[in-house]
Amino acid sequence: MKFEWSVVWSSLPRLLDGAWMTIWLTVATMAIAIPGGLLLALLRLSPLKLISGAATAFVEFFRATPLILQIYWVYYVLPAYFDVQMSQLSTAIVGLACNISAFNSETFRSGIVSIRQGQWNAGLALGMARWEVFLRIVLPQALMRVLPALASTWVSLFKDTSLVSIISVAELSYVSLQLRAETYRILEVLTAMAVLYWLMGYPQAKLVDYIHRRYKVAE
Amino acid sequence: MDINFQPIIDSWPFLAKALRTTLLVSVLSTGLGFAIGVTVGILRTYGGRILDILLGFYVDTMRAIPLLVVLVWAFFAFPLVVGYSIDALTAGVVGLGIHLGAYVAETVRAGLTSVRRNQMQAALALGMGRFQAIRTIILPQALIRMLPALGSLLIIAIKDSAIASVIAVPELLRQTQIVAGKTFRPFELYTAAMLVYFALCYPVARGIDRVYRRIAHLGSS
Repeated sequence: MKFEWSVVWSSLPRLLDGAWMTIWLTVATMAIAIPGGLLLALLRLSPLKLISGAATAFVEFFRATPLILQIYWVYYVLPAYFDVQMSQLSTAIVGLACNISAFNSETFRSGIVSIRQGQWNAGLALGMARWEVFLRIVLPQALMRVLPALASTWVSLFKDTSLVSIISVAELSYVSLQLRAETYRILEVLTAMAVLYWLMGYPQAKLVDYIHRRYKVAE
Repeated sequence: MDINFQPIIDSWPFLAKALRTTLLVSVLSTGLGFAIGVTVGILRTYGGRILDILLGFYVDTMRAIPLLVVLVWAFFAFPLVVGYSIDALTAGVVGLGIHLGAYVAETVRAGLTSVRRNQMQAALALGMGRFQAIRTIILPQALIRMLPALGSLLIIAIKDSAIASVIAVPELLRQTQIVAGKTFRPFELYTAAMLVYFALCYPVARGIDRVYRRIAHLGSS
């Protein structure tokens, strides 16, 4: 079998466009999923059973079903049955953001409940309001503690953006699979795709390790 | 909005077979992933510097490349390298297993290194061999500590088996797509599939939580 690597070089601009879209999707999703996750975490900690129950159901549901199926569901079901019209890109971001928000909410919740009750008591004793204690004392410490877990979720998200290729969002996987069909240079194109993902993902994985070492919780 | 569950009832045998395939893929890929992961984790922890670097490269590569890419490469590109084709199910199980193995390896390594060094030294001082000490002293404690993380990985393995639909492994998601396409009932089909996956994953998650709460004290030292 003869390999023709020139096809990779000639289609490199398209592959890089795809890679750019992958990065963009990751950033956009995380920008929604961090506030989204925090909101869900707060709703889950709400004393009102109805609110905390609904938030728990949302989180558990998105955590216990495959992301790829969630994306299909948003793509096929929302427009046809609920009359919501969205572009493929918005569909992708909605699907990814719901999923990642659910995971982030568990991360934030564990961070918030890990701050000892004494900190709340001390804040209240100083005359702060509950929201003030939360915003100025509990949340900053909780965020530092969950930074490593958030970083891990970031890398998972970066990898999971490949799944929106199934609804034709032109990120790296989709572009590569298209090129494979156009050029028939299967091995060359798919290897180029893997190498590009590796070049982007490997430093991120290493950075996550560093963050884990640097911000490890030590009590 | 009208809802019609007739298509699901009509194609029930087809979907039930798909569910069995999902279970088969999950079980096989979990088995392969855990076998790879435990081996790699132990070798990275106790196998010396060179093995650690080489296997670390495998682990970090799998952490960097999406599962979809691994599966697509294993199914479409790998046969061109070796010169004979492999069926989708094999490619799916192997791809999922190799990807999962890296995460299991990280968990195992973290678990093993969490058991204090003195325990190994004490075991060696008692005249045990290194392997014996790992098997009888370190691993039992580490396994209990790893249980929650390994449980999450098991659930991830079940969920990730759905990604094998991309290379046409006839598992639940793939066959659901086929039925949804034929009957024009995506809402009913995809919702049903969603509930089935939830019914598979959620009890496993809660079950592992409960078992862990029971036995967590055995892992503390």
